Amino acid sequence: MRTKWLVLVLLVSIVLSACGAKAVPETEVPVVEPVTLKIYLLDYTPDTIAWLKSDINPAFEAAHPGATVEITEGSWSGWDTTFSGFFAAGEGPDIINLGSEMNTLYGASLADMDPYLGKAAWPDITNFGPALENAKYQGKLRGLPIFTAPRYVFCRTDLMEALGWTTGTPENFADWVSFAGMASKIDSATNSLIQQALVPVDAGSMADWQWWLLVYYSLGGQLYKADGSPNFDSPEALATTQFILDLRHAIYGPAVNAVGALPAGQGSVIDVNDDTQKDNGAVCLAHSGWAAPPFTRPIWSKISIDPFFGDPTNFPNSKPVVLAFNDWLAVADYSKNKELAAEWLKLAFSKEANHKWNETMSLIPARNDAQYGYVTDSVQLKREAELAAQYGVGFAGIEEAAKLSTIMQDALGKLVTEELTPAEVVEKIQTEYSAALGK
Amino acid sequence: MVRNPYIDAVLTALLAIIFIIGSSVGIGMLARFIAKLAGATRRKQENTFAGYLFASPWIVGFLIFVIIPMAFSLYWSFTDYRVVSNEPAQWVGFDNYNQLIMKDEGFHASIVNTLFLTAIGLPLQMAVALFLAVLLNRKMRGERIFRMAFYLPVVLGFNTAVLLAWRLMLNTGTGIINQLIRALTKAFPPYGYLNRALIFFQEVISALFLGISNGNFNLLNQVIKAGFPAENRVPLWVQSPLWSKMSVVLLMIWGCGTMMLIFLAGLKNIPKELSEAAEVDGASNWKRFWRISFPLLTPYIFYNLVVGLISSLQIFEPIYVLYRDNQPLVSSVISMVYYLWQASFRHFEIGYGSAISWLILLIILIVTVIQFKMQNRWVNYDLY
Repeated sequence: MRTKWLVLVLLVSIVLSACGAKAVPETEVPVVEPVTLKIYLLDYTPDTIAWLKSDINPAFEAAHPGATVEITEGSWSGWDTTFSGFFAAGEGPDIINLGSEMNTLYGASLADMDPYLGKAAWPDITNFGPALENAKYQGKLRGLPIFTAPRYVFCRTDLMEALGWTTGTPENFADWVSFAGMASKIDSATNSLIQQALVPVDAGSMADWQWWLLVYYSLGGQLYKADGSPNFDSPEALATTQFILDLRHAIYGPAVNAVGALPAGQGSVIDVNDDTQKDNGAVCLAHSGWAAPPFTRPIWSKISIDPFFGDPTNFPNSKPVVLAFNDWLAVADYSKNKELAAEWLKLAFSKEANHKWNETMSLIPARNDAQYGYVTDSVQLKREAELAAQYGVGFAGIEEAAKLSTIMQDALGKLVTEELTPAEVVEKIQTEYSAALGK
Repeated sequence: MVRNPYIDAVLTALLAIIFIIGSSVGIGMLARFIAKLAGATRRKQENTFAGYLFASPWIVGFLIFVIIPMAFSLYWSFTDYRVVSNEPAQWVGFDNYNQLIMKDEGFHASIVNTLFLTAIGLPLQMAVALFLAVLLNRKMRGERIFRMAFYLPVVLGFNTAVLLAWRLMLNTGTGIINQLIRALTKAFPPYGYLNRALIFFQEVISALFLGISNGNFNLLNQVIKAGFPAENRVPLWVQSPLWSKMSVVLLMIWGCGTMMLIFLAGLKNIPKELSEAAEVDGASNWKRFWRISFPLLTPYIFYNLVVGLISSLQIFEPIYVLYRDNQPLVSSVISMVYYLWQASFRHFEIGYGSAISWLILLIILIVTVIQFKMQNRWVNYDLY
């Protein structure tokens, strides 16, 4: 009985105190809705992240009381699984980091940012270079590009000269194949390469799909026909595939020779190992600046930077090409903070910020007006920026990019093992990609 | 109202607890009501209530995290549902299944690859696990350290450090595995012949499986035409499609710690008297193992076989670890589950991926049922 009374008294006191609390008049303190802006970045340098956290985010939070910025760092390995989880759940970071070709893949699930970042809302948008096109889907802005990272042909001039190759970076397919045969060395004891004339993205197979596309574009090849169907049955596609195989043979020999790939070295494949003072093994590298040595390395005095020249001898429409990749930040359609996300993007993509962001990675800013200072001061970056402006071809606008990647890697893998002939490879890609596009 | 993310998190957790308690009480009351309808005594009704009340957290979890997703997956398997298209799932009937079974060469190739990993990898994995268990069953110094060392890969799993270590170890030119092969060949020249014979045999088998999965035997013809490998040949582990599957088999073997522990438990369970009596009768070590230990180990072998088969039919991690950044080799090693992952999380075709998952379930179910049906022919339960 005593316990029941105690419980009753307790309940009455709770009710009374609750009523009492309600009776206190509310003060008119302006309340700002606290909100967390979530940003998902992939593989940025510690310097970049540190700068974002020390400069950009505090400035943004000061300008937007109640807003907190939360950066999550992910990796390009496995990003697709993570992103599909965000889109499937309709919940995740407000701003996500995408690559060039992903505008077509995710476009439908990205927010239309024209009302926030279009010319009318943000005049600065006119300062962005051609990379801005990769940040659009169905003509509407979905985010902003950070940098342009074109793929060049970097060659070690000292090694070329030592081989007696005096004409510089080869400028047609026949020269490339001759050079590859001359500049590649196989150690007979280990049956492995110790010097590779050209490392095109993937050193082992030499059959990366992005490398294939670069060569194809250099011949003047178009990915789609006028009716939107794939163009892998074109003469340029067959010539590209034959060239990939010829180059591979010139370096590795026939598949049955089973030659081992270049050992994984310290730093870039065209650099020199500091400990052993031996070359890492590649004479030329067809890749972006990421795979090249840091600009502070002394080896740069012996490295040339060129576009890939195509094969003007056999294809008159050939043109020098640097395949331009870029990272961009997109706003997800599920985001409830689109306006806030746009505000953060405007801050992080101002002229100075875009410059600083890229300086932490030694890359070329996507904004034209941000290409000053370290860009023009560095001989290499200046050359890269010039080549990109002159010969840049965007790695974008690829329909069903993930499927094309799977289809091409499968077919090109069978090319280098000689399971399929070049003609069979392009036929396979054409058939499977047409089916993927529903053509 | 002021929102605070920390309070939100606490509130969400509280709501989850209230939901679990509420749903558990609800299920308990429902069970009691059914018991009452069935004419159970009051005591029986109370016991039913208590039993279901305490079992409910698991039942609710099972419903939410297994049954409901499975139901969704089954529904999606009959639809065209692309997660990034921002469009609802479109009903397509049996189209996905028809495409997979009749037309999709990629899926057929993944079945052949999985078959290779199951037919070659699983027996090797079990043999090594049994061998290690037999070794560890002997009294020796540092027995516990060895036991821990062999089990460590299971604990480590396939994290980034492990991936890097394996990639370095499997490097054709400088990897430690090929360096060991070269050193052994140099020290014992006859081993060189054995090594080359093994390379030839393995490449023929791999080329045969690749030919079956591609419907094109060019590679097999090339391997046979090239003949006995040259003296300086070493395995091209993560470089050639002829070795890509064998590299995965190496990782499978490396992770045989759980099987080893089960075999070890089985060996410890065999009465020593049996072996000692045979020893008195003059039976050799080999004979005692084959005639006494092995037959009595068959229940453990059966268990490892069932679990190992299910696991190898679902193999994904080692392939993902070794080849996710080495796209040209993926098609030569792609397994059913990797294919499922690719369809669902690279191409974002959730409907198609769901259909693949149900076909995999069906395949596993059939294989497991066959195993159980056949166990009477070889599994010896005399000791139990």
